[in-house]
Amino acid sequence: MRDVAIVGMGTTKFKSRWVDKTYYELAFDAAKMALEDAGLEKDRIDCAVYGIYNDFFQRQYQPDAFVHDYLGLGLKPMVRVNSGGATGGAALRIGYAEVASGLYDVCLVLGVEKCADTYNYEMKMSTPEVLRAILYTADMTYDNPAGRTAASGFALAVVAHRDKFGNPTEEQMAKVSVKNHFNATKNPLAQSPKVLTVEEVMNSRMIVEPFKFYDNCLYTEGSSAVILASREVAERITDKPVWISGLGASADYVMPGNRPNIYTFESSRLAARKAYAMAGVKDPLQDLDLAELHDAFTGTEIMAYEDCFFCEEGQGGSLIDDGTVMPDGQLPVNLSGGLIGCGHAVGATGIMQTYEVALHLRGEAGRRQKKGARRGLVQSIGGTLCTWTVCLVLER
Amino acid sequence: MDKQQREAWYLYHQQKYGIPVEYLRREYERELAGQNPMDAPLEIPDKMEVFYKYSYGQQSRFFRELRENQAVYGAKCPQCSKVYCPPRAHCSQCYKPTEWVKLKGTGIIKACTVQHYTTSAFIKKVPFICAYVQLDGTDFLLMTNMEVEDVSKIGVGTRVKAAFRENRHGTITDFYFKPLE
Ligand SMILES: [Zn+2]
Repeated sequence: MRDVAIVGMGTTKFKSRWVDKTYYELAFDAAKMALEDAGLEKDRIDCAVYGIYNDFFQRQYQPDAFVHDYLGLGLKPMVRVNSGGATGGAALRIGYAEVASGLYDVCLVLGVEKCADTYNYEMKMSTPEVLRAILYTADMTYDNPAGRTAASGFALAVVAHRDKFGNPTEEQMAKVSVKNHFNATKNPLAQSPKVLTVEEVMNSRMIVEPFKFYDNCLYTEGSSAVILASREVAERITDKPVWISGLGASADYVMPGNRPNIYTFESSRLAARKAYAMAGVKDPLQDLDLAELHDAFTGTEIMAYEDCFFCEEGQGGSLIDDGTVMPDGQLPVNLSGGLIGCGHAVGATGIMQTYEVALHLRGEAGRRQKKGARRGLVQSIGGTLCTWTVCLVLER
Repeated sequence: MDKQQREAWYLYHQQKYGIPVEYLRREYERELAGQNPMDAPLEIPDKMEVFYKYSYGQQSRFFRELRENQAVYGAKCPQCSKVYCPPRAHCSQCYKPTEWVKLKGTGIIKACTVQHYTTSAFIKKVPFICAYVQLDGTDFLLMTNMEVEDVSKIGVGTRVKAAFRENRHGTITDFYFKPLE
């Protein structure tokens, strides 16, 4: 396999609604920024991978075809990836394979998502209709009629984890929310920059037990893109390549009856283990300088500390209590604000997380820069009870 | 658009999408009255919809038994003895065809949360229980919701029993779970 570098990247702002852009117009903005960052003309792109999650959100089946057309990439090969919340990470994985295999030298990996064009006229808001669109991803015969949400699937796991290990507590989850909302105040791209107190989070209204309002990410619109290139090309066109040194992926049984338990996400553990082995990461707490973890919910960020081996199984809550994952801690988690602070534009999210880590490795993260960052982790998860996980280790 | 054209617009969209005229008026009056600049984002009502005559394939008997006989069936692997409910025609580990087994309809809640907010389709039912139930005699989990007076009385370990609705349609919602006294 060939070495693969990120040679260009761009992202739109993450917002609750981009009313003045369609999904392909948003994608265009991210692609243009990534090309300018790389100093490449669009005709230098050999192939493209598009991460787009929900066709109802876009109001379009096969939206990738229209993105490809709008970007002027006709006759180049492309493929669309959809792995729920892990769509961005999964798109990066395919893009990596395109270049590492030697099939192509330059690959555009672009994620985009709208969502708030869906609308509940009676309630005068998008969210319940967004959730209805998502519910079509639950098994239509057996699960969809139960009216669950993405949050309830993960809530079931967090409750099971708490019953088994005694954490995460409500207070630990609230601390994660405070951290991520605060981190977002230093990210100009973020949707939800907020200075909150633990009490405010704990007193916010209940959504799905044990998640209160501020324990959840919001739905977001946006687009993020990276350009991947082989070592030969990367060394010719940029003096600040960011290398994908580790990559791991796993897809678990979507039906929890086929799993030994639901209090741990085995796909996440496998993906992290594989990515670490490939990158030579022995002790993640020592060997990584920062991590962007998939915090769709505060409780699942805490589970991710364990699944990414920052601590022993069952000890996740201790890392937010002792400050390890704080901006000034040993291993800051979600300096971008994460999904909770920066936003969750589903197909773009994993690419936004990658953009964030790469920005730190390039020393361009401004007020939230992790000093001297050399190596970081991206974790992208999605699907019922974490069906998919993709982990990437990035290095400069 | 003049007043008559606007009213025709409302009526057309109400008939096409089932959105009440009062909501359409609230959302679109300003636009239709020409008060938005020519280059401002233009929003329109729309809906994605497809009709089905869906086949349950090899799971058909499960739904016919629900509808006709008020009975819950599982699917047993002859090789490893795992019993699936929801049923499947083949064991996913052994790749052997499964056999139908009649279940008692009782079970236990293995994972549980309370939904206080949810999708448009269910928002009027909150709060309700969202749980995975393991039916007795099975080795699998079934997603269910439970509308109960006091959600705090339901949790992991609660014993439940299937109850059947009077009007059954051949869908998983032909039965629901209630706590076993
Ligand atoms: Zn078997």
